[in-house]
Amino acid sequence: MEVAMDEGNDFSRCNFSTAAAMDDYFACAWNNWEQSVADVGPFSASADADDFHDLVESIVFADDVDYDPSTGHFSLPQSPSYNSNTSTCTPVAEEEEHNATATAGNDAKGLRLVHLLEAAAEALGGVHKCPDLARVILVRLRELLGRGGEGTSIERLAGHFTDALQGLLDGGRTSLRDGGQHNHNNKMEVLTAFQLLQDMSPYTKFGHFTANQAILEATAVDRRIHVVDFEIAEGVQWASLMQALASRPGTSSPHLRITAMIRSGGSRSAQETGRLLAAYAASLGQPFSFSQCRLEANSERFRAAGVKVVKGEALVMNCVLHPTTTAARRRTTGSVASFLSGSVDLGARVVTLVEEEVGEGEEAEEEQGRGFVGRFMAELGRYSAVWDSLEAEFPMQGQARAVVERVILGPRIAGAIGHAFRAEEEEGGQVESWGEWMTAMGFGKVSISCFNHCQAKLLLGLFKGGYKVEETATNKLVLGWKTRRLLSASVWKPPSPVLLPVIDSFEDSDFLFD
Amino acid sequence: MFPAASRKPPSTSMNSASHERSPMCVQGDSGLVLTTDPKPRLRWTAELHDRFVDAVNQLGGPDKATPKTIMRVMGVKGLTLYHLKSHLQKFRLGKQPHREFNDPSLKEAMDLHRNTASSSRIMGRSMNESLHGTEALRMQMEVHRRLHEQLEVQKHLQIRIEAQGKYMQSILEKAYQTLAADQGLGYNKDQVGGDQVGFVQDTMGFHDLQLFGGGDLHLDNLHQVHLNQPLDHGLYLTPNDHPSSALIGKKIMATSHDPYITNPNEKSPFNWDDEDDDDDNLHVGKQEELHQNIGNIAPGLIDAAAANGRRMVVDVYEAKPMISNAGGSEGSTKMDRPSPLRDHPLSMEGINAMLIGGSFAQ
Repeated sequence: MEVAMDEGNDFSRCNFSTAAAMDDYFACAWNNWEQSVADVGPFSASADADDFHDLVESIVFADDVDYDPSTGHFSLPQSPSYNSNTSTCTPVAEEEEHNATATAGNDAKGLRLVHLLEAAAEALGGVHKCPDLARVILVRLRELLGRGGEGTSIERLAGHFTDALQGLLDGGRTSLRDGGQHNHNNKMEVLTAFQLLQDMSPYTKFGHFTANQAILEATAVDRRIHVVDFEIAEGVQWASLMQALASRPGTSSPHLRITAMIRSGGSRSAQETGRLLAAYAASLGQPFSFSQCRLEANSERFRAAGVKVVKGEALVMNCVLHPTTTAARRRTTGSVASFLSGSVDLGARVVTLVEEEVGEGEEAEEEQGRGFVGRFMAELGRYSAVWDSLEAEFPMQGQARAVVERVILGPRIAGAIGHAFRAEEEEGGQVESWGEWMTAMGFGKVSISCFNHCQAKLLLGLFKGGYKVEETATNKLVLGWKTRRLLSASVWKPPSPVLLPVIDSFEDSDFLFD
Repeated sequence: MFPAASRKPPSTSMNSASHERSPMCVQGDSGLVLTTDPKPRLRWTAELHDRFVDAVNQLGGPDKATPKTIMRVMGVKGLTLYHLKSHLQKFRLGKQPHREFNDPSLKEAMDLHRNTASSSRIMGRSMNESLHGTEALRMQMEVHRRLHEQLEVQKHLQIRIEAQGKYMQSILEKAYQTLAADQGLGYNKDQVGGDQVGFVQDTMGFHDLQLFGGGDLHLDNLHQVHLNQPLDHGLYLTPNDHPSSALIGKKIMATSHDPYITNPNEKSPFNWDDEDDDDDNLHVGKQEELHQNIGNIAPGLIDAAAANGRRMVVDVYEAKPMISNAGGSEGSTKMDRPSPLRDHPLSMEGINAMLIGGSFAQ
């Protein structure tokens, strides 16, 4: 059923005042949302996921989507090409969708999911907080999404975000699956999923290889190399470094020492990793030693004194904050800051940093202005790009992708949303871009070599297309999917200790609760 | 008339030299070796050729130099334009072998060089020669250099990817072993513990390459490297235990509603059929959850095994609905339901299937 809409039709705003009765809310909401469904001709059902990303982008970043903090309204996108699919406004509107073409239906559904998610985020963490409203919306979302793990990729994505929000409602903290939990069942599955992710996308390799190449270049003539690793996880990054060191032309390969930062409870797994790395090094004939360094118990702060330093060794610090490793916890700002600034005390040669890339330009600022909701939508955009990238590369391997999504990306989403939520609640700075932080702290930039850049390009060339790498600064490579920047790898040189501003006054803005 | 003939050593630097095969060589006054053929052919000796090359280089390379100018520069009496013309042409064409390319894989680079050389030659002639010729040369060199560098990077990248793959193998292997040790169930160790692990070891890294092999590769070399991988190695599990993956593939194709491998010939520890519940079946516990769990991983990956072409899976059939969490996600905050211990074999089987699939698809 199509109802032609007059041009200049004014889509009425939907008021989210907390006083509104639930029924009214629903009637109001559905009424408006049905009318706002766009006829999306160019989209085809098969390109669902890909266009979902575009859809999200257009919603998130369009001028039309306005959140007015003062009144607590948010208005729906208006577009001259709108063609309403239905005019009835009941909560059972999705039946209506089935009458329409599948194309419009899918996108309508996608759109609706996004709207609902945004509304829920709004209710949960926006200006006018209303947990009950959020609860209702989440219920509705789950109705739409059916059982977890099923459905289109859009639905799965929305499902994870729904779960994340639900987690916020329920526990007050995120429902992270603890990476340190030695549940063997999970571990196998996690490792498998991790392997799959590595095979299906360049995310992991990009960061690791870029960092490793920078380390290799910085220590080209050294006989002893000492790597201090912020997050050892499974130690996957170091396998290729060892290979490169072992096959260096010339005399014997330099001695590699890795010091892993461990948090409370992480000692055993780090030891395990150390053993695996040592075994691998032995297979290469690469001289290797492994040690651990504890971070402070509660704050997880780094103390340079805790690292054993040997004279004559070239020390590099490696900080991979991208959470595709199996240890998926988000580290506190204070912890990361102390680690990075510790590089000064240790006199590190270089510091390699891999982090998630923040949104760019005005959109980022706009998001910042919207607080939690903005960050929520930003994460939605980010993960929709990741979803798309996986789907585009391996459209047929739906099951494998679902595993990766469920086991690795899902918890990560929950972590990101929780992180954003806590930051919203607690005052105190959250560092979104550690690169910027380091620049502000006086870290120097180490140029990305031609080799490194070329390597990244070749790595991406192994995939179908859609991935791209940009050199956004002399010391930074950014991996993106289509128009969305996702991950950055950068190389820094710590400033000399004299010039360093006092770091200790940096506040611990958020702690992990457990 | 002529002094006694003295044979000069034949010029070895010109491999394309198909010069005179005359019986007699005489040396003229100018030091040139002429033959007594009716057609006065010049023998390009090493010395003479060196002078020739010097002159050419002086003039800015074989594309810039002309017979006339070379003649002038060389200043060798008796050297005619005719000689120089033909020699220059041969020199231009045969220039490649004079360079020292140790790496045979640079053949592509040389082809490219040749192509750009000819095109730049044309360019050089049609435009202002003195300027563009040099630039054209520089361009050639630049292209060559860049290509060489890219090949280097590609080589290293390949090795690094493999290294990471191998390490991942070892991690998974270790995890398997830990599981097997922990469980201590009555597995047929041969099938589960050692061999499958061995299989993992053999093919895991290979699996990586399979995926990459399907992608669009810009450089042919990378492609070829993949092709050169021993396709058969690892396709077969240890001989006594498992059927060949080809067989598995066929079975999968045939039994469209039973995505799980059931080989009646062997005692598979993992028997998914609800009916068969023999003693050998280590499938203790809830059927549902097992199926669900395997449903999460195996079918898709097994389906991948049934691929025809290079890319993994052309058509996947979703045999079972994917139910990641039993009972849906109503109000559930858990992202994943921890499976009971007995689900381990499923994961391993799933991975096994994945590996079969990975190595099968090529």
